[in-house]
Amino acid sequence: MKIKTSLKNLHNYKVYLEVEKAVHEFMKRHGYLKTDLPVLSPALIPESYLEIFETEFNYFEKKEKLYLTPSPEIFLKRLLVAGIGNCYYLGRSFRNSEPNSFWHLPEFTMLEFYKVGIDYLKMADEVLKMLRYIDNKLKNPAFVKTSAGKQKLKFNKWEKYSVAEVFEKFTGIKKEALFNEKLFFKKAKEKKYNINITTYENLFSQILATEIEPKLGVNGYPTLLYDYPKQMASLAKLNDDNQTAQRCEFYINGLEVGGFCTELNDYKEQQKRFISESKRRKQSKMINHTIDKDFIEALKYGLPFCTGAGIGFERLVMIYANTQSIEELKLINIV
Amino acid sequence: MKVNAGNLKKGEFVFFQGEICQVQKADFYSPGKGSALMKARLKNLMSAKNVDYAYKSNEQVEVLDVTSVEMQYLYKDNENLYFMNERTFDQSSLPISTVGKISRFFKDGEKMFVYFYNDKPLSIRPPSSVKLKIIEAEDAAKGDTVSGAKKPVRVETGAVVMVPIFVKIGETISINPETGEYTGRV
Repeated sequence: MKIKTSLKNLHNYKVYLEVEKAVHEFMKRHGYLKTDLPVLSPALIPESYLEIFETEFNYFEKKEKLYLTPSPEIFLKRLLVAGIGNCYYLGRSFRNSEPNSFWHLPEFTMLEFYKVGIDYLKMADEVLKMLRYIDNKLKNPAFVKTSAGKQKLKFNKWEKYSVAEVFEKFTGIKKEALFNEKLFFKKAKEKKYNINITTYENLFSQILATEIEPKLGVNGYPTLLYDYPKQMASLAKLNDDNQTAQRCEFYINGLEVGGFCTELNDYKEQQKRFISESKRRKQSKMINHTIDKDFIEALKYGLPFCTGAGIGFERLVMIYANTQSIEELKLINIV
Repeated sequence: MKVNAGNLKKGEFVFFQGEICQVQKADFYSPGKGSALMKARLKNLMSAKNVDYAYKSNEQVEVLDVTSVEMQYLYKDNENLYFMNERTFDQSSLPISTVGKISRFFKDGEKMFVYFYNDKPLSIRPPSSVKLKIIEAEDAAKGDTVSGAKKPVRVETGAVVMVPIFVKIGETISINPETGEYTGRV
């Protein structure tokens, strides 16, 4: 890897600074407390879909493993349990084994915020309000490329679909098949996806990325997808239908920018997930990091009813700066 | 040779749904929550159509051992383009539909690289630019001073290209054959 200096990106970087400023303003006005958090942690939450960076603290004979945090969740949820209330973090997060691409850097900026007492759909209103706030603060408008050419992006409403609706609309896979693993595999096979050695989660992601995502957020509005199949619940609360989870993701220009979910506050369920995720990590021979058992202990005291949102900050700025890649926003890139 | 889809690179050839395709684009993509994918754009060499597909990044993909050979383009008929290996004098042909629209910029006798797999020609590596003489052009209308104004001209292969109005008949211009755009005077 090399260090690349790109002063030609100064204009885009200035947009980055403006968006950053607007976000801090919005958060302050809406009662979120800014948090300053470590990026090195002695333990992590086990997550099987991402790899982490490992380092070591050395002091004479004393050695201790430390890890760069892949998201600030580990700290923010502790603070929520302790009673901090609405809060946010805008800062660095790290994910290993994710090479540089237009929309990925192993070291990236995460905007994560939690609001107490609201569910995912109320959070959708809040996120839209923030997108609009940023847009109003900027000198130049954001554009999307549509079939009719460039169009100004508007933030006064979501283009909104449930995941079931969007699968039926763009892939022809009906609700019955989406929520039935056997039928879903059959449909994927008919569509010539490789169904050997795979999982429902993988096939879901592949079909979503191939057939649906390019069509999202391209009609002049950001697109919101909501109610994911429970296999894709992550840490979201389930809906009463017991098939879907209270999770949303939003897209602009075919790119996933962020997501949010009503947080699962059942520590027993969380514990189960810890065990299954660590097992998956071991099976996939991923870095065997120290597991943050205190996190479960903290959750036993009770995470308040809240919704948490995570936004890839560089991806968000790409929209307002009208750039095609994250690298175009940076003065220094490691490539 | 099998590779992880996460290591696929632009220009490589793969079997996709039973047909040989060339990777046009391959970008790593990982959703905020969910497994990592490799979003690829694959060009089917038979139909010359592009298809987008998201591989699991750890999925094993067969990358084909394709060689490229410098050959001389001889001529075309209604269906095929004909090439000759200048060392062995072997002749090969490729359907025009496989090579695509860029073939309208090929001049007889020009050298270019042809891809082979198992001794069978697959497609050609498009030259980054071609130089062609203008054989038909109208004079720019007087007083037409709009900056960036363009006019159509016919080049020696018969193809029509949009050029700036100051370019004249008899001049040689360079063209990007993939986009069909004029890139300058030679």
